Amino acid sequence: MEENKNPEVEVKEAEAVTAAEPAGKAAKKERPAKKEYVPKTARGIYFKRYWQLYAMLLLPIIYFIVFKYSPMYYVLIAFKKYSIVQSVSEMPWAKNHGFEYFIKAFKDKDFIYALRNTVFLNLLDILVGFPIPIIFALILNELRFKYFKKTVQTIAYMPHFLSWVIIYGLALQLFAPSTGLINLLLTKMDLESVHFLDEGKNWVKTYIGLGIWQSFGWNSIIYLAAITGISPELYEAASVDGANRFQKMWHITLPGIRPTIVVLLVLALGNIVSSNFDRPFALQNNLVMKNAEVISTYVYKNGIKGLQFSLTTAVGLFQSVVNVIFLLLANWFSRKMGERGIV
Amino acid sequence: MKKRILSAILAGTMIVSAAACGDTQGQAPAGNENKEPAVSNVTNEPVTQNTFEGDGSEIEGGSSEELVDGKFTETRHITVEVYDRGNDGGSDPTNNMYTDYIKKGMLEDHNVEVEFVAVPRWTEVEEINNLLAAGTAPDICLTYDYPTIQTYADMGGVTDLQDLVVDNKNDLPHLWDWLGTTNMYWDKSVQDGTLWAIEGKRANNNRIVTFVRKDWLDTLGMEEPTTKEEFYNMLCAFRDNADTLLGADASKMVPFGLSEDVGWRAALLIESCMDPNITDKEFYVNGFDDRKYTENGTKDAARILNQWYNEKLIMEGFALTESADEDSMMKAGYVGAFMHNWDYPFRNGEDSINANLQRLVGENAKFVAVDCFEASNGEYIKYCDSTAGDRKIFFPTTNDEPLASLLYLDWISDPVHIEYLQVGDEGVTHNVLPDGAYTFMAATGDAIMNSGQNIDMTITCNGLHLSTEELTLKSLANNYPPCDPADVARANEVACNGKKPTKNAKITAVEAETGKGESLAEKRNQAWALSVVAPVDQFDAVWDENMANYLSAGGQDIIDERTEKWEAQYGSSETLE
Repeated sequence: MEENKNPEVEVKEAEAVTAAEPAGKAAKKERPAKKEYVPKTARGIYFKRYWQLYAMLLLPIIYFIVFKYSPMYYVLIAFKKYSIVQSVSEMPWAKNHGFEYFIKAFKDKDFIYALRNTVFLNLLDILVGFPIPIIFALILNELRFKYFKKTVQTIAYMPHFLSWVIIYGLALQLFAPSTGLINLLLTKMDLESVHFLDEGKNWVKTYIGLGIWQSFGWNSIIYLAAITGISPELYEAASVDGANRFQKMWHITLPGIRPTIVVLLVLALGNIVSSNFDRPFALQNNLVMKNAEVISTYVYKNGIKGLQFSLTTAVGLFQSVVNVIFLLLANWFSRKMGERGIV
Repeated sequence: MKKRILSAILAGTMIVSAAACGDTQGQAPAGNENKEPAVSNVTNEPVTQNTFEGDGSEIEGGSSEELVDGKFTETRHITVEVYDRGNDGGSDPTNNMYTDYIKKGMLEDHNVEVEFVAVPRWTEVEEINNLLAAGTAPDICLTYDYPTIQTYADMGGVTDLQDLVVDNKNDLPHLWDWLGTTNMYWDKSVQDGTLWAIEGKRANNNRIVTFVRKDWLDTLGMEEPTTKEEFYNMLCAFRDNADTLLGADASKMVPFGLSEDVGWRAALLIESCMDPNITDKEFYVNGFDDRKYTENGTKDAARILNQWYNEKLIMEGFALTESADEDSMMKAGYVGAFMHNWDYPFRNGEDSINANLQRLVGENAKFVAVDCFEASNGEYIKYCDSTAGDRKIFFPTTNDEPLASLLYLDWISDPVHIEYLQVGDEGVTHNVLPDGAYTFMAATGDAIMNSGQNIDMTITCNGLHLSTEELTLKSLANNYPPCDPADVARANEVACNGKKPTKNAKITAVEAETGKGESLAEKRNQAWALSVVAPVDQFDAVWDENMANYLSAGGQDIIDERTEKWEAQYGSSETLE
């Protein structure tokens, strides 16, 4: 399907698709390429020839409509007074032109804390956690001993498959204040024990650290794939020119995976006000809530446990809107920087 | 062309999916005739007070024409919620000797088929929320959490029981007899007469007791503590003599056991710091929090706990400790003292805390009840619940067999049936002593009761309730094999000393509480935990900051509304008769 494209573009294209490009988009982009084969005279001929491709598109389109678009209708709950026995259209509109719950959320100190914590933790995650898989991929790529490389890679991405509940269990065994392994060691060495899990600032460090430990191996896979796509000729040419390892890494490998890095960064920034649920929820405890309450757990506690469905739908909607804005901003920025972007 | 085809496909699917959605919206709340939420047409005038209390005989009622000799002519089917406690080696909560007994009896007596639906006990509120929201809740639901019922009632998801229980009163003799008007109408609204839930009755309203390791006291040659001061000295002695008491495990010593729920696990200490002469009004106004967080004097209790923590009398990681982990520490013998339900160390037969202690630590190792938290007037007050305030039974609007469901409640309240469900078969679950008292034995297989006194089966009755009060008292102490009946009797005695039951202020709906229960409870737990671990010199700042947070997060609104409603109903009076 890309026979007319040069290899470099092909690499980029492949990466873009890995980065979860919507199916519909890919098809749209194909069209001009296909058109070159078709005489412009009859669209009918074109469709007759390629209708199978469109038929294949049908399933993903239905999937998106049924599971992604039609549920959006229920966003209306954010603007209505929720009732369990009425359908969305029957529910009465909320006060203040339907914005009652948005106003309520922003007057709620807890929500503001949750918003602040979400952004703060996610920024830290990006700041500290984003470069690590790249560095890890670069290091792995330099390894010559194949089996060692494979083993390290496998071990590194194993934690990705552990649930956060299990990770918390491990963390408790290691970091608990008086019974954890590390604190036992510290006290045996006559040092002060460290409250890794039940003191706000330390908790943030533990949270970020565990997140990195869990995901860096997995996240490096995409970079490793991108690195293998870099033409070996470039390295050979650099060797001839007398470049050392570090120079090759800096001038060939890194620029080679730059598009991948940018795409993943744009996606990460697009999630700046959302966080997954299980990681903060599993790690939270009563002593650190000031730092640990994030929007997803706030929504769970107030929405599902507190039965304030309208309020939390409003919060969810706000979250999505901010996410989209961030995504577009990051994308615009990456284009400004001369990269392709994803939208 | 392509565009048109694509858009046609899009439009087509949109219609299909919209139609599908429309359908489910119509069907979800099946069996609900009243689509308008919670507008009662009973009456808007305040209902007269005298119909709220009594044994039930003062209320005139009718009987249903659907029944012939108390039976339906056609077999009806109802579903009933039952708690799943997930006990190790328990019986199947939905299918055991007792469910069979109920099923058989209901079919014979009323021609009603009963099906049990298990709901995990420890996440029951969340679970029942999900079931209600999905429209798949059992016909007979129960929960400990009234705000949940109120919230769903406000949304029109709960059946008003007022007319049902009166119109069918003559078919429900046992129910009215056992619960009386007091429990039947406990939750009845004074404003509009609606009745969203019936309160199951506590046959035993013992609440919380302090337990200490008797064998440790003996080893150290100490007496059982009788005052706060002595309790504190005892904890210090435990801490200072860890080597003697635990040997190689000395570092694991926990003089006072506390969990993440500080307000509960230090309740007696907290309550002893309250004003013993607290007015009914003040008690009601702050009564929305069952951990009494906003009552006057609780700060003093927090200061004491803070001191204990900083003197290493409380485990460092208590806020990370869940109750199951803590139980293990008690069973292993690392904990010196704790407060919990009055029968806590005796619960669960061979797996009870005391039975484990005897196996793992030694013959003499056991927890015994002590009474040592005196209020400022020297009394040992135990704030406890009235006969109501336990499990609330309600019917979601998806219940289309309200009469059959009421008959179920009636059947389950028959003293004969209660007695069987609580004592089981002779030789299997109990033996009879010469004086008539039951001694209970550890059952096996299907005959295992998953809850103490089988309360999960007798949802209108919590606590041992046998044919006579004397028999009940005599049997109660024998109810916790293999634990020593004398220890149980002692715990019961302590729990009853200075009981102060809650009164019913009959002000049901407080709007500011809607949807706030869970988040405020969490805030309270956080506040307690943070105050306990604060450095001594920062205690005041931490306490005040958290209290301010709690109040601004909704606590103050509730207090204000409760004050307002009290004054609207009782004027300047500070007491209930």
